[in-house]
Amino acid sequence: MDVKLYEDDGVTVFQVNGEINISSSPDLRKHFEKLSSKKIVLDLEKVTYVDSSGLATLVEMLKKTKSKGGILGLAGMTEKVKSLFEITKLDKLFAIYPSRSQAVSQVK
Amino acid sequence: MKKSGMKKEFQLHSDLSEVQNASAKVLAFLKPLRLGEGVLFDIRLCLEEALINAIKYGNEGRKDLKVRLAVEAEPREVRLSVEDQGRGFDSSKVNDCTRAENLGKAGGRGVFLMHQLMDRVKYNAKGNGVLMVKLLNKETRAPKQGK
Repeated sequence: MDVKLYEDDGVTVFQVNGEINISSSPDLRKHFEKLSSKKIVLDLEKVTYVDSSGLATLVEMLKKTKSKGGILGLAGMTEKVKSLFEITKLDKLFAIYPSRSQAVSQVK
Repeated sequence: MKKSGMKKEFQLHSDLSEVQNASAKVLAFLKPLRLGEGVLFDIRLCLEEALINAIKYGNEGRKDLKVRLAVEAEPREVRLSVEDQGRGFDSSKVNDCTRAENLGKAGGRGVFLMHQLMDRVKYNAKGNGVLMVKLLNKETRAPKQGK
């Protein structure tokens, strides 16, 4: 898994590439903890696999963002990854957008 | 593949770094079934969740304890069984991760996904072994490649 960070219209885009699983979750958490931005879009378009540890890590990231008074949106998930959010009802907890650009325009 | 099916068994050390290697071996073993990406995703996810639970909670990470994994494939179903050497657990006591008060909590999602993505999930009486069955049909096969 690797992560790219960039700014788009005042929003920090956190682009994840690869798998978010029990092995990569600690790394993802470390990258996220370095962020100071309160407006974040997590671009998951290039995420091919997420396990329950990955889902728990994303929940943790959302809670930390909210505790700072920030907003975090998820964008660009594949149908399979999105289905995991629907099955576990996490789609009720997260703001999920079909694309990065739509997420940025809502979060900014 | 033969109509009588095929079976393979593995033994893992209680080390989380072995989980992905084991699931890769299982997916390679299932390759002759020509399963679609979606069903392979489900099988991998449920298998890895079961292995992680067996190592972390079943064997409590004790390196001297092993996890046994068996995969059986027949034309109509794939059976995966995972057994640890721990004391066992009561799966009925796992919190429902989809309840509003549990959505923000970490536990229970792996077991829940196993039940949702597999067609049958059964724990043994002791609670240290789980059998997961995925039924196969036309929809679970990979589309045939064009000539």
